[in-house]
Amino acid sequence: MVDKGQVIRLCRSLLRAGRQLPDYNIREYAKRRTFDGFRMNKNLTDHSKVEKAYAEGKKQLEVVERVVKVYLAYPPKTKNIMELKLH
Amino acid sequence: MASLSTSSLSFKAPSIQSTRTSQVLRKPLSFQPISFGRFQSSKNLRLQISCAAKPETVQKVSDIVREQLALSADTALTAESKFSALGADSLDTVEIVMALEEKFNISVEEADAQNITTIQEAADLIEDLAQKKPAA
Repeated sequence: MVDKGQVIRLCRSLLRAGRQLPDYNIREYAKRRTFDGFRMNKNLTDHSKVEKAYAEGKKQLEVVERVVKVYLAYPPKTKNIMELKLH
Repeated sequence: MASLSTSSLSFKAPSIQSTRTSQVLRKPLSFQPISFGRFQSSKNLRLQISCAAKPETVQKVSDIVREQLALSADTALTAESKFSALGADSLDTVEIVMALEEKFNISVEEADAQNITTIQEAADLIEDLAQKKPAA
């Protein structure tokens, strides 16, 4: 049985993992997609659907962690313009 | 000031002093030896926890909350505003906490994040973490 606390914890872990990504675009996408994914399934009441969504979230967490490792091994050489502070 | 420091030393022992217990229990963090420097200031003993955070911090937190929840400019935001009262659900709270982590460059623990319900609590937590960081 997946409870609300677990769901929130999964959301935070996904966001934290996504924060380590060096590429600006992919980092922002991870953040956006996490929130969209959780909001989409916010009102699910059927237990089996909730479990399925939670399992998928866990899978995505593994994906993000793997991608972070790959990107940290080969980080992008230039910073994205959105990350530069231009005044 | 001197009398305060001697009384503060007695608080470190687990003995309960009933007159001060309510104030002692309000800010358990202050009684660890590490934050002794902060404890020296008299205002932390006498004033309530709501006065612990600086107004600029509260203002910055309010700005972030306003932006995340897309509130109109005329909705009044006080330090005691609850996130749930402003129309935020738990996911919005997570988003707000994440935005605060990024803005203030801190890392909020799971347990602390669950307990944040008002703007004041968020500001206090930020100040605590910002204080602990340079000591680490």
